[in-house]
Amino acid sequence: MSTALAPPPATIGGPPVPRRPGPLRRVGALRHTSPGRLQLLLAVLLTLGVFTGLTAGLTGRSAAAGTGDLGRRAQPLLAEAETIYSALADADTTAAQAFLAGGLEPPPLTRRYEDDLARATAALTSAARRTPEGSTSADVVQGLAAGVARYAGLVATARATNRQGLPVGASYLSAASTLNRQTLLPQAQSLFRIAQREVGDGYRDAASAAWIALLALLTVALLAALVAGQIHLSRATKRTFNLPLLAATALTLLFAAGAGGVLAGQNVHLDRAGEQGSAPAAALAEARILALRERGDEALTLAARGGGGAYETDFQQTSRDLRAALDRSFPAPSAADSHRLYVEQHGQVRRLDDGGDYDAAVARAIGPQTTRPFEAMTAALDAALAERKAVFTDEIGAAGRGLGALTVLGPLAALVVCGLAVAGIRARLEEYR
Amino acid sequence: MTRTRPVLAAAAAAVLLLAGGCSGDSSPPPTPARPSASAPPAGPGAAADTSCNPRASLRPSGSLPAPGRMPAGSYMATIQQRGRLVLGTSQDTLLFSSRNPFTGEIEGFDVDMGRQIAEAIFGDPDRIQIKVIGYDKRVSSAVDGSVDLVADTMTANCARWKDVTFSSIYYEAGQKVLVSTDSTVRSIEDLGGKRVCSAAGSTSYDNIGKVRSKPIPVALPAFGDCLVAFQQNEVDAISTDDTILAGMAAQDPYAKVVGPRFTEEPYAMAMSPAHPEFTRFVNAVLERNRANGTWKATYERWLGDFGPAPQPPKAQYK
Repeated sequence: MSTALAPPPATIGGPPVPRRPGPLRRVGALRHTSPGRLQLLLAVLLTLGVFTGLTAGLTGRSAAAGTGDLGRRAQPLLAEAETIYSALADADTTAAQAFLAGGLEPPPLTRRYEDDLARATAALTSAARRTPEGSTSADVVQGLAAGVARYAGLVATARATNRQGLPVGASYLSAASTLNRQTLLPQAQSLFRIAQREVGDGYRDAASAAWIALLALLTVALLAALVAGQIHLSRATKRTFNLPLLAATALTLLFAAGAGGVLAGQNVHLDRAGEQGSAPAAALAEARILALRERGDEALTLAARGGGGAYETDFQQTSRDLRAALDRSFPAPSAADSHRLYVEQHGQVRRLDDGGDYDAAVARAIGPQTTRPFEAMTAALDAALAERKAVFTDEIGAAGRGLGALTVLGPLAALVVCGLAVAGIRARLEEYR
Repeated sequence: MTRTRPVLAAAAAAVLLLAGGCSGDSSPPPTPARPSASAPPAGPGAAADTSCNPRASLRPSGSLPAPGRMPAGSYMATIQQRGRLVLGTSQDTLLFSSRNPFTGEIEGFDVDMGRQIAEAIFGDPDRIQIKVIGYDKRVSSAVDGSVDLVADTMTANCARWKDVTFSSIYYEAGQKVLVSTDSTVRSIEDLGGKRVCSAAGSTSYDNIGKVRSKPIPVALPAFGDCLVAFQQNEVDAISTDDTILAGMAAQDPYAKVVGPRFTEEPYAMAMSPAHPEFTRFVNAVLERNRANGTWKATYERWLGDFGPAPQPPKAQYK
């Protein structure tokens, strides 16, 4: 292709090979003979074929790995971080409500607490598997695991002392709650943020934009070389078509179409997984975190018996945030109504407590009037969250489809193209022997 | 009260008692300039504020009005109209004001003091709303009217008299030390370099910083938290009023209270100075209950395990 650009070497006049030529010069000299030109063409085709095949394999692998990492690690880690947070927040609220009830814990609350703790521990174990050693997220998971053990110990002591009728049980509970709210929940929240960032990175990695660009470039170059080669051959040999090279061109086109289809499909599904899966799931998870925080604030305000002004202030702030989140075209439409009802009931609880009727306030806070709308809200959020997670799983599954084939068939197709190029050009070379 | 001087002398000799007569708590006035608590010379009430007799309250005037018939225009009438007396106290001081884990009710000697006032106003001791306030909110809660009355192991002292009005003394306490049963410690002096816990905002805490052998004071929000820290081996000892310590020792068979009282803590109820007639009324109720055996019965109910009831503290008036 660059024949015209290279200045003719001064010392060499024709076909005879110079005495001590460097390899580059030897290659340069090839273009002056017909078989030399054919050899050059073959070399170019083989080089491009090999690189295209290699890049196709690597692109397929990178995209498959990125998509797999997103689906099997980053997104599940996000879900686990959310589970850890919500389980811990719920454990805290449940413990506070059991405390409010007085006497022995009501069995449903005990079960709920145990269930929360089991969920948090299970999520921590699998989150530990998904965090690379030495990373910030691994440190956070480790800190959480240690903290949860300590928390469980404090609550167990609170229960044991409560059984003996000792008021220090309440202090143990408050120590547990402080640990939960001031250490564990912020840690869980930071894990959530890290996982969110990793999901964002995961989408970028899965899209493998750089690899795809390289692959496209090489494929176009290969096609161009094939076409140019055939034009050259048909001029030089008076044969219009070189069948093996024609087949190689067709195969390359097929490969380009196939790879393009697979990668475009992957990107479409990735976008959908992000827009209809990850993003709304994250919003729902955050809303659930806010909802649990509200409920915890309510119980702790009552448990503090008038000393809990700070919790009520936090309730109001959290409530405002949650309302703002729910009012935006939110993926769980019924949650906003339930939340309104719940906040109304909370207002009643506060009115009763501020009016001096503490017992009635407690009864209302842990009674069905308040519990029902709250649980309706969390149930709506849970259902929407499950739905979004399913969408994500489906889309990620679809995005991964065909990438394995690209990894294997891409290099294979390139190999065949190379073989055809050799076959097509060797036949012409033979004619010069 | 006659005990005061010998003890003061003893304490002074030991260079322990810088806060003179003020202890158990050092909740600051509403707009406090809290010095960092570990700096002993800057402690509130440093160098014994003896500008007043903290035990002397307002003299009751005349006989008690009948329950439900509070004189018009008085603060008692306001409370009667509201339908309940708002008492500020804590919920983790066993025997004085703590939450009964079985019932969820807050009860104790301090709560009964409040209930007796409610009974005098309404004829019904249950017409009471209990607000749990932090140790460091006792003065401000009484002043800003968020509670009618504070009964929360609160020591009457001159620094606080500047912001609130105290009733006559209803209990005499003093600071001691709680350690584990196998400890050889015999007084606060033996705890040099050890971690000693007290509630933030209490003069007990300030007093620990003034001990010559330099124990390390540790402040936690409430005394219940101190007991948790003690049981988790996070602190070596707890030091505050003997009454509060007795309540803790009753919850932990591996704890004992040791040493002499190294301060005097006369407990009184705190009220806003805006209603002197209410203080006179409260003092009249206390006066009556000292005389008719109610005080003794209350003592025996909550503190009977520590021996027979002593004579109730004699009221002093200005």
